[in-house]
Amino acid sequence: MPSATINEGPSGKPLLVARALKKFYGGEPAVRGVDFSIEHNSYVTLLGPSGCGKTTILRMIGGFEAVSAGTLELDQRSLVDVSANRRPVNTVFQSYALFPHLTVAENVGFSLSLKGLDRATIQTRVAGALAMVRMEAMSGRWPRQLSGGQQQRVALARAIINEPKLLLLDEPLSALDRKMRKDMQIELKDLQRRLGMTFLHVTHDQEEAFALSDWIIVMNRGVIEQQGSPEDIYRRPASAYVADFIGGANLLSGKIAGVKGELAAIDTEFGTIEAPCTSGLNAGQVASLCLRPEQISLNGNGRAISGAVSHVVFQGAESLIEVEAGKSRLQVRCERTPPEVGSTIKLTFDPQRAWIAAGAMGQGS
Amino acid sequence: MESQKAALTLLVAPVVGVVAVFCLAPLAVLFCYSFFHVEFVEIAKQPSIGNYVKVAESETYRWLIAKAVGTGLSVAAIAGVIGYPVAFFIAKRVVLLKSVFLTALLIPLYTGDLVRIFAWRVVLGAEGVLNSFLLWTGVISEPIQALLFSTTATLIVLTYNYLPFMVLGLWLAFESLDDRLLEAAADLGAGRWATIRRVILPRTTPGLLAGGLMVFILVIGDYLTPQLIGGSSGVTVISAVNDLFGTAFDWPLGSAIAWSLLATMVALIIAAGLLFSRTRLGRSIISGG
Repeated sequence: MPSATINEGPSGKPLLVARALKKFYGGEPAVRGVDFSIEHNSYVTLLGPSGCGKTTILRMIGGFEAVSAGTLELDQRSLVDVSANRRPVNTVFQSYALFPHLTVAENVGFSLSLKGLDRATIQTRVAGALAMVRMEAMSGRWPRQLSGGQQQRVALARAIINEPKLLLLDEPLSALDRKMRKDMQIELKDLQRRLGMTFLHVTHDQEEAFALSDWIIVMNRGVIEQQGSPEDIYRRPASAYVADFIGGANLLSGKIAGVKGELAAIDTEFGTIEAPCTSGLNAGQVASLCLRPEQISLNGNGRAISGAVSHVVFQGAESLIEVEAGKSRLQVRCERTPPEVGSTIKLTFDPQRAWIAAGAMGQGS
Repeated sequence: MESQKAALTLLVAPVVGVVAVFCLAPLAVLFCYSFFHVEFVEIAKQPSIGNYVKVAESETYRWLIAKAVGTGLSVAAIAGVIGYPVAFFIAKRVVLLKSVFLTALLIPLYTGDLVRIFAWRVVLGAEGVLNSFLLWTGVISEPIQALLFSTTATLIVLTYNYLPFMVLGLWLAFESLDDRLLEAAADLGAGRWATIRRVILPRTTPGLLAGGLMVFILVIGDYLTPQLIGGSSGVTVISAVNDLFGTAFDWPLGSAIAWSLLATMVALIIAAGLLFSRTRLGRSIISGG
């Protein structure tokens, strides 16, 4: 499923290819065999809850963890036996890991001075990298004199100064407050475009993944649940897990009654509903009908479900209301004055805009 | 805030008082004595700086003070070189048996000075363990006399005695060394030596200095080891002070020597501290934290 926004590298081959990549910690699998590739000049996100193996994958690419099994190739050369200091890959660490005994400029110039470049060249390039993240004024400071956001920028400058083929970002925004996080998201994306570098970003925040990525790899318990463009992942989730993890879908589980090409019929507690479906579904299989909150309306036509309003959450421009219908709790967006809690309302949706994904929540996937 | 500060002062004051009385008062008494002199068998209490002039003019006392400083620095340096990898190993490579290693390191300290010293005499003596072994293997045909009662022997035993203090200081520094900094260094292209030189060494220097300072001070204060292991080479400034306070009954001169030694050490430590704080590394440790 190649995405239109992804550019191909000069060779036409992907930058990084992982095949059947596995990691065990003393017999415990952390990554259970994943296959993915990363195109040149793209922004890719590894998305999943904590403990899903996403950071382990990043650390294997960075060279901080040995690969237990499988292959890992960068520009068609195996990384498996290359030590971390020889990989054309740099990392922005979650805790930034700035050297406390070096100034901002010395931190940023660390990799250049290791290469034995002359002082003038280092100074010029450090100034350039700091300008890239708008930290020129801080070059003489010590890391502990900087705020979290500033440390983040310095860590970024330090990682890009050497022009790595691949930049790894390990939950780089998790330590920042919400406002700062939003600003940094825009800056990261902008930086990636300007540099034409490939970024691989690990996060548990789906909003962040959507804001940044050309390609999202959704992980769960050491395996890849789905990978694709943000739109694919959001509109056409392969499994109930992905639908739930990404943007909180309402899931109505049931058995597949039949499949007709791109459409499937599912028996839910509200009757049989025919909707577009993910590929590979078979009759009799457990699946879920996914309805995004914005796909349900309070006064429209189409399939109708009635239920009682149990909660109303004011969110500014709109309200999120929770409706109890049968055994399900459905979340619906409402732009006008919300109905009162306890009142019975009629919900409608267009089955053609809904989606059927494999599996159900709470039964693994 | 103000009342809290006052309460804190009140709480701390007795401790400061006790420390002042029990630690500083004896030194102050010695300081006063150092300006007196002995007339026949009595201490005459007319202040003069005669004793200090005597110390400054005497080549022997100057030499003894210099020797003490030299021995202290040498042992601190040797202990640093030996202790560095040991501390790194315990802090970064041992996971389960860490407390076992640390306890094992301290066991020699439980046994007492004399026991340790005599154990070393058994090892290093002319008919000792080491000589017997070397004779048995045929490496030597006659026992090496210099193994015991030599400067080398003194340095070996002093290092053995005070190594734990160096390792403890360094171990703490290594424990607080963030592994992610090592990963970051590798990520940025640093090999093993570059990581040691540019990250590990600067980050553990405070531990090295703390351990070194402790070893330095303890070695200078130790006169039993040089005396019992060093033989004729084992005269130290402290044993000279001991003689003056004991058999020679010249407390004023003894006090003056003790204070000269103390002043020399304090001056050296302050000078070293000032010099270090002016280096790049020193500045970065002070400001960078």
